[in-house]
Amino acid sequence: MTWLVWRQYRAQGAIAAALLAAAAAVILADGVQIASHWHSILATCSGNTSCLRQTSLVNGTLGDLPYVSLIVPAVLGILWGAPLVAHELETRTIDFAWTQSVTRTRWLTVKAGWLLLAAAVCGGAITALTTWWSGPDNAQHASAFEPGHFDTQGIVPVGYALFAMALGIAAGTVARRTLPAIAATLGGFIGLRLVISDFVRQHYMTAVTIYYKTTSSFSPSGQAWILAQGAVSRTGRVVPTGWGDLYPALPTSCQKVFFETQRPGAKSGDLNPVFSCMQAHGWRGFITYQPASRYWPFQGIETGIYVLLAAALIAVTFVIIRRRDA
Amino acid sequence: MSLAIETCELSKRYRRVRALTECTVSVPDGRISALVGPNGAGKTTLLRLLAGLASPTGGTASVLGGTPRQDPAFLAEIGFLAQEIPLYRRFTAEDHIRIGAHLNPRWDAALVRTRLAELRIPLDQRVGTLSGGQRAQVALALTLAKRPRLLLLDEPVAALDPLARRNFLATLASAMADAAGGLTVVLSSHLVTDLERVCDHIILLAGSRVQLCGDIDALLAEHKVLVGPRKDTAPIERTHQVVQTAATARQSTLLVRLNGPVTDPAYQAEDVTLEELVLGYMGADEASPGRHLTTVGEGS
Repeated sequence: MTWLVWRQYRAQGAIAAALLAAAAAVILADGVQIASHWHSILATCSGNTSCLRQTSLVNGTLGDLPYVSLIVPAVLGILWGAPLVAHELETRTIDFAWTQSVTRTRWLTVKAGWLLLAAAVCGGAITALTTWWSGPDNAQHASAFEPGHFDTQGIVPVGYALFAMALGIAAGTVARRTLPAIAATLGGFIGLRLVISDFVRQHYMTAVTIYYKTTSSFSPSGQAWILAQGAVSRTGRVVPTGWGDLYPALPTSCQKVFFETQRPGAKSGDLNPVFSCMQAHGWRGFITYQPASRYWPFQGIETGIYVLLAAALIAVTFVIIRRRDA
Repeated sequence: MSLAIETCELSKRYRRVRALTECTVSVPDGRISALVGPNGAGKTTLLRLLAGLASPTGGTASVLGGTPRQDPAFLAEIGFLAQEIPLYRRFTAEDHIRIGAHLNPRWDAALVRTRLAELRIPLDQRVGTLSGGQRAQVALALTLAKRPRLLLLDEPVAALDPLARRNFLATLASAMADAAGGLTVVLSSHLVTDLERVCDHIILLAGSRVQLCGDIDALLAEHKVLVGPRKDTAPIERTHQVVQTAATARQSTLLVRLNGPVTDPAYQAEDVTLEELVLGYMGADEASPGRHLTTVGEGS
């Protein structure tokens, strides 16, 4: 069986390997340049944080690299996953394959096994390159949980690649035709990625909420993921940061204080009297966030979700392949 | 005499379409059976059920003593060649030989190479660039290289020109000779003339049902065409089975399955050809769709 897989995919595999090698060469060259640039910035700024953040680090064509790497799993699922069963059904070569002395189960195990491995390797190579390349940028900007960062680095891209491949294989098996399978793979992959990154990811672990005096401030350490912040009144009324929302919610006396601070001649920008007034009326500041230390647990949970979904899709594919007519 | 194939009321429905209805047939070991019938009669369905590529919605099939199933030992005994000649078009014949060697326990690579060399079909050319006849020969040679005990061929000669057709059937006949009784073949076609020379057994399907099944010589001996004056056929039908009736103003022609001698001197009995027999049974189905003549006969 392995020889059949090798024969079927050797040309595509060679092209993929060549593309990956070319991408690696470009990324390595660019990454080395960025790293040296970063070292010179470090030397110039000598520990001054605002200086470190002001200097533009990433410029030019490779700035979009993280976004390019996002599409690699989908491309693999479309080009290799979707046709795996569907194309053999369309060209009827399935009749040849399934009447050799090999069960369908073994046929699918070997074919899907190698392609899933290839997906994991491609996903792993891309994420390794992107993670390394992004090192200076990661150090410069506090954004570990941001989309475009969280989902292009670490281990999650391996999960995405496995899932996209499994989705392609399953969609091709259900649809029995390559083109609809490609559409389903693309739609399903993008849809799930959006749902998880926009609505699910933030709930992987219960977020931490810190309340603090309005006269003081609090900011979580490291590259934390801030989900919400603002002020909360004695009665529990929650108001997000920003005076547009806050001002109408304030007690009348504090509104007056606020108005005073805005009068011409007042010490501009000094809102401390307002904060003191709020403090006196029982208001507190709050911040809800996922601590920076949860970066790797979140990477693990997200990868686990995609790997489990991939496993479920492959299991469904096995059931269909075994039961349905060729 | 053991049976390579034995089915009992084998049925297959695809949603609302009956592809095969209560098909009861048997093919003894070592025979080469013609599976004939009009397009859409259920020939492909029957072959795919026998090969284990599809599963029945009713009835049972016994192939080489077991139910068709996804099992390496069963699959190794079956050679199946689908109508579409399914080969990987971008692969060469040599690639296919190597695939077969990896996927089958008994694999006669030399057989394929020898046959293709005899037919001057290049081993190193992409299969997709070969002619239809050459592709069919490659596919047949690959199917034979499995050394199967049962060969199921679905309209393999339909797309071939007469010369390629003859070559194909010659290859088949020599494989039968080489196997010395260890190979049973079922070969489907909608043209009985293609198969008449090589086959000694027939299964006739029409309208998803079996119309006729048995040894060709025995069936030919059992059937006669009766030519006589146009009159009521009831007396004949009391003894014999009238398959088909055709009448002109003065005379009528009956295709009859005999059940003893014809006693009425008004009729003249003539031998039937296989083609007349097949057309008669196919016509019988068309004339009266509700009527089915499921007849299982092993004359010998």
